[in-house]
Amino acid sequence: MGVVKNAVAGLGFDQDAPMVTFPIDVFLIESDLTPVEGGKQKFIDGLLDWKPAADTKGIRNAEMIDLDVDDYESAVVKTNNLFLTNLWADGLPVIPPTADKIDWILQGTDRPRDEHIGKFMPRGGIVTVETCAISLAMSGGRPEYLPVLLAAVETILQPEMDHDKWQSTSGMTFPVIVVNGPIAKDIRINSGFGLMGPNPQAPAGGSIGRAVRLMQQNVGGALPGTGTMAIFGAMRYTNAVIAEAEDVLPDGWEPHATEWHSIERGTNSVSVFVATGGSNVIRRGTGKETLEVEAEDSLRRVATYMQTANPHYIRGWTDGSAGAVIISPVVAKQLAQLGWTKKKVREFLWEHTKIDKKTVIDSGLEQWIRASTDPVAQAADIDPWPISKRPDGIMLLVAGGAHPTHNFWLQGNALTVGKCLVETPSGWKGLLEQADRDIGCADDLCII
Amino acid sequence: MTNLDVFDPTGAIEITQLHAARLDGLDGKRVGIISNDEWQAHRTLPLVTEILQRDFSDVEIIPPDQFPFGNDQIDSDDTVAAAKANKVDAIIMGNAA
Repeated sequence: MGVVKNAVAGLGFDQDAPMVTFPIDVFLIESDLTPVEGGKQKFIDGLLDWKPAADTKGIRNAEMIDLDVDDYESAVVKTNNLFLTNLWADGLPVIPPTADKIDWILQGTDRPRDEHIGKFMPRGGIVTVETCAISLAMSGGRPEYLPVLLAAVETILQPEMDHDKWQSTSGMTFPVIVVNGPIAKDIRINSGFGLMGPNPQAPAGGSIGRAVRLMQQNVGGALPGTGTMAIFGAMRYTNAVIAEAEDVLPDGWEPHATEWHSIERGTNSVSVFVATGGSNVIRRGTGKETLEVEAEDSLRRVATYMQTANPHYIRGWTDGSAGAVIISPVVAKQLAQLGWTKKKVREFLWEHTKIDKKTVIDSGLEQWIRASTDPVAQAADIDPWPISKRPDGIMLLVAGGAHPTHNFWLQGNALTVGKCLVETPSGWKGLLEQADRDIGCADDLCII
Repeated sequence: MTNLDVFDPTGAIEITQLHAARLDGLDGKRVGIISNDEWQAHRTLPLVTEILQRDFSDVEIIPPDQFPFGNDQIDSDDTVAAAKANKVDAIIMGNAA
């Protein structure tokens, strides 16, 4: 029901619609349809008698909320209680988004606070620079995180990202935000050990990702069970916000942003795609084999994780991505020394992840392929079936701790991979210096 | 006791369209059925059609095959065009789950 209310709100209607609802059982294969018969009058009422709540057009602003508080502690408690009651929080503590806090966060941009960025679907809530700052404040963010958050949100709201679909789907879809450029290190987004978090030495990714998640819920309407049908949730409160370890890329291995988006190395940017889960893959051998054998065996092992009859591959098959393999810098260096280029790794994975026709048919994947729109429908007859149209549909990211034992596979549901350059404010240097004073220096020399 | 003002994090909403007025009856009306072909729509929507026709013998049901059909297909201006071309007075669309 909430999904439909959000959907109509996203189309510009009030958040309500005449609908007839039934328990999920009615919608399953070979279900008993007796309840539909019983709902006859509701169908008739929907056509003849239903009355909407809104009878005028226009903007409905979100108003400031006035709380009576005794001290700092009661302010935090009352804000959190209110936000949970209103379904605006996520179960973790939120920082009260006061006017002073938002003004502080807004130091992270020179853009006007009321600048309209877009509408977050399916609810259609209006996103402004201030809206982003509010969520970043709630999630414990800092002003220097705001430029990356703004770029990430702008990317998510690009029409080709199709975010209204993955916001409300039953799958475990979440945005992955990959940051390239020096800003990652400057503001402490993780590219090393503990890549996916948490890491108190690289806290920015968690705050930024949580701010995105809060906006998905509060502005976009993705409330579990009503606004989003994600059966198992979104895997994490913080989405995935990571940086590529650009400064240790092997020679000839270009940064992700350069490869995918033709963005010049050293430019601050975000790249965003939708994933549905991740797998940690033990890649290392037992140490008795040669390096060459270990390298190839490990890629085959990664391929076995990727080689699944997963209908999510269909979404990104032509122009998007099957997902991202994350390779630690140590492993990337070894592979490069053995002559593996990124292109060679991709081609190897693409060949070894093809799925034979019998499996495509027996798993029901063929039905999904044929139900999709062209040109993927033509692909159902390809035998064996590749998980993406071309090898470059598989992303490779170099990140993670300097340890050879594991790779990581981020399963994609990625119609496209979006991008946006990151814009920093005129007072950027001062913000970074203040961050060093507040939470310790970000320089490599300071990292344990 | 003091006042603390906090921002509502949900953002503004813009209502740009109002829902269509309801019908004054179903007899003599044309009701379009649009299917996203999901969640047993191929079973529920024919049943809805049958239910309406049983009580309103003069209602004309325009079936799903007169409109774009399927989840990706109905999300387009072609659906609006088909509704206009079929001169429908109302639409029932399903299924969402």
